[in-house]
Amino acid sequence: MKEKSPILEVSDLQVNRSNSVVIEHANFTIHRGDYVGLVGPNGGGKTTLILAILNIIPRTKGIIRLFGQDIKSFSDWEKVAYVSQNAINFDPQFPLSVRELVALGRVNRSNLGRTLKRADWKAVDDILEFMGISDVADRRIGQLSGGQKQRVFVAKSLVRKPEIILLDEPIVGVDAETQEKFYKKLSDLNIEKGITILLVTHDLTAVFCRMSKVMCVNRLVNVSEITESLKPEEVLREAYGDHFHFVFHKHECKRVFKDE
Amino acid sequence: MTTSILSSTNMNASGFSKMNELIDVFRLFGFQFFQNALLGGTITALACAWVGLFLILRKEAMIGDGIAHTAFGGIALGLFLGINPLLTSLLVSVLAVLGISYMRQKGLAQSDSAIAVMLAVGFSTGLIIISLAGGFNVELFSFLFGSILTIDQTDLIIVSILGVSTLIILGIFYKELLSITFDEEGARLMGIPVRLLSLAFNLLVAITIVLSIKVIGVILVVALLVLPALSALQLNLSFKGTTLAAIIFGILSMTTGILLSAIYNVATSGVIVFTAAAIFLFTATYRKLE
Repeated sequence: MKEKSPILEVSDLQVNRSNSVVIEHANFTIHRGDYVGLVGPNGGGKTTLILAILNIIPRTKGIIRLFGQDIKSFSDWEKVAYVSQNAINFDPQFPLSVRELVALGRVNRSNLGRTLKRADWKAVDDILEFMGISDVADRRIGQLSGGQKQRVFVAKSLVRKPEIILLDEPIVGVDAETQEKFYKKLSDLNIEKGITILLVTHDLTAVFCRMSKVMCVNRLVNVSEITESLKPEEVLREAYGDHFHFVFHKHECKRVFKDE
Repeated sequence: MTTSILSSTNMNASGFSKMNELIDVFRLFGFQFFQNALLGGTITALACAWVGLFLILRKEAMIGDGIAHTAFGGIALGLFLGINPLLTSLLVSVLAVLGISYMRQKGLAQSDSAIAVMLAVGFSTGLIIISLAGGFNVELFSFLFGSILTIDQTDLIIVSILGVSTLIILGIFYKELLSITFDEEGARLMGIPVRLLSLAFNLLVAITIVLSIKVIGVILVVALLVLPALSALQLNLSFKGTTLAAIIFGILSMTTGILLSAIYNVATSGVIVFTAAAIFLFTATYRKLE
């Protein structure tokens, strides 16, 4: 079997915030096409790790390489998409339609100072269709429901056809049916389009049913390949502690996710 | 000093019938000074409305007021040295923008404090120069409160060049500025040069203020920046729709203000702002009733 190329390489990473260590001794590699669930207790450092990978907050020590380049000198940001935890907390009075907001995802360094072309708007309409939000395309973003807002921001991140997408709890507070549809969309993106996905989530069933790797983060970072022989409870206890109890049976996936 | 169109053309409105008054108003469009006023005013209103919309969305409306007051120092300097005051105020305004950016970047002051410092330094510099020169009387008054009806060819050329340049640059980078305004961190991740474009935008603010000085004066320029955009925001439109509405409201305020000030023989800048405020009141009421 052909070895998948590495997209994200992290070596001996340490990240401090407000003079305290949040992440330390992190060593892992994410390969092209991986679908990784980032799990761990609140305050364990999941968001800090994502922000360090994106060079939004500085690393204290160690190496982060994206597409083979050191993060400090990395410039191919068009290949990377990110949906933050706070994306939907925008000013509701901001005068933007859904279509205009998603189109902002096509604005980058390569088309600086040029108007968006017909192909860009076609990509916007295609992604709105893909995410199932074409019907609200002309609505103001402040008038959307929570679930619609989250799908709009994911659409904005996907519209420039990234190679890796980092999602920080993008579907908090969304009903079960919307969640199911959302996970199906991400699986389609991963399988059909080969997009590498890092998803911060508390939905452990989704991680073990849908994803190829699980990354447990609680100051330390452990990455495990999800295989038939993997025992989820053992892996998760490294992050959540010995008191943690999670019973998982693979056959539950069929019941939870109807598309399987 | 602001001059009424009717009085400046030796036409006393009170002596004519309503029909004659109307004919006189139409005749005004044939005068060169009136055409200059409308052209200069329209370019200014357009630039102010567009720049003002971004200023409000960036929550930086007060930078407009700060730079306008700093420009006062530049006007006094120009009058003192015998150079066109619009050029010296442009130089001082650009320096003020760079000063504010420097203070913010180096952590010397927050945005509002940096604006306050520049406002105070610019205005006090103007006062010192005026006292040294023994006062400039009428000429200085026209820059403080605007005098669009007395705009000459040189000023019109300066206003046109600055205004059209501002509109072209805004047109070229409008999608990047929108991206930065909505989500600065996200824009940075997309490789957009956020710091450079933010500085460029603030320079456009300085240019827009300078070209507005002759039209509305340094005291009221912030109204022309804020009111049309604020009125447009009441209508719950898309960004494109809001931009168009702001521009229409700006031009409507300007042309209506110029015409009404001519008919009723009152200060042009005051009527422009009053018209813009009336439009805001109307749109805000519409929103409440919607």
